[in-house]
Amino acid sequence: MTTTNPTTSETVTARAAARFISDYACRLLECGATCVRIEKNVNRIARTWHLTAAMTITPAHISLTVSDTGGSDTFTLITAVSHTSVSYDMNTSLSRLSWHIADNATDPARATAMLHEITNRPRPDKWKTLPLVALANASFCRLFGGDATAMATVFAATTAGYALKLILSEAGMDLRPTLILCAFVSSVLGATDGLFSLGSTPDIAIATSILYLVPGIPFLNAFSDMIAGHYTCSFSRLAGAAILTCCLSAGLCGGMLLMGAGMF
Amino acid sequence: MITEFLQDALFAAIAAIGFAAISDPPRKAYLYCATIAAAGHSVRFLLMHADTAGMHIVTASALAALITGTMAVLLSTRAGMPAETFLFPALLPMIPGIYAYKTFGGLILCLMHADESSFPHYFYLFAHNGMTCLFILLGMTVGATVPIFLLKRISFRATRDAAHHE
Repeated sequence: MTTTNPTTSETVTARAAARFISDYACRLLECGATCVRIEKNVNRIARTWHLTAAMTITPAHISLTVSDTGGSDTFTLITAVSHTSVSYDMNTSLSRLSWHIADNATDPARATAMLHEITNRPRPDKWKTLPLVALANASFCRLFGGDATAMATVFAATTAGYALKLILSEAGMDLRPTLILCAFVSSVLGATDGLFSLGSTPDIAIATSILYLVPGIPFLNAFSDMIAGHYTCSFSRLAGAAILTCCLSAGLCGGMLLMGAGMF
Repeated sequence: MITEFLQDALFAAIAAIGFAAISDPPRKAYLYCATIAAAGHSVRFLLMHADTAGMHIVTASALAALITGTMAVLLSTRAGMPAETFLFPALLPMIPGIYAYKTFGGLILCLMHADESSFPHYFYLFAHNGMTCLFILLGMTVGATVPIFLLKRISFRATRDAAHHE
């Protein structure tokens, strides 16, 4: 059973459409899109090909069913999500792709080629973000009332911790032990402000030294999905973010214990 | 207070740019991130300041996020990007990170102090920090996403024009 696309006069099978849409939805989920964004974009593409799409989204899999308008031809795919690495650049490109397909009635073969072009683009060098992240965390320290010494301490602690995170990520280490180690290193360095009595706000230095590790985007995505009614994905994302917070807290506790600093 | 307000806006903008860099936004998004983060964080500062409104952090965060979200949606068409591209990184300086890890710290201390006299204190720290963190996040996300859902025609069509120029 095939459906004719009136604009291009090309036939779009549910199978071909499902393969593309499933791939597209997975890439969108991997780059940190909210469920409502994925749903909107997928439905836009499916409507263009005169098909309907229904999805169950979890952080590890996407289960997708595509059918023609009569419901006589149905194709279901379960696709595994390979890895999650937030990229709003890719999110933007993929959203534009959905509009390109909708407005130009692009066929699945051409759409697949465009998808591959987007997903195969080289990702920016993470090392270039290191000074920006360190500066951001130092600014964060200032927002919490830290003095110049605390800001300098946090800058150094973040540089060391984030550099370690990049090294361990490149070595393929799981994110959870990575966060424990990075939080440990950053908190030990953050505690030096108090240890050597360098400034007047050592408690702020240590408290903010690990804030660059807090999984802010996963927390925001989790609550956004909750508001949109995607409870399964929301609670899964929330559990993931809570585990990451637990890991960085463990690293922080270890660092504080070693340096004799108190959390409260 | 004006100096404090301006400082708050400036450092929030720097923090947003730096934290946004982790999530690989389009180059053009940095300016939008910085602008709306500065606006949102400084509004929260004003709302929480005792000399102005003296609001609770949860209410202040929700209202500041509402302003941030509205700005992001209105700017998304001009930017040709989904609102979340610069909205979520701009919200990062308001994420209650310290409350989040103090929740887990309180939990660990609860387990380490099982005696009846000190356990309630650490349980209080765990519950207080946990609830504050949860409600700040909830308030922020509700505030930030309400404009996305209310202005659906803008927020889910923002990338349409940009798609034709590619």
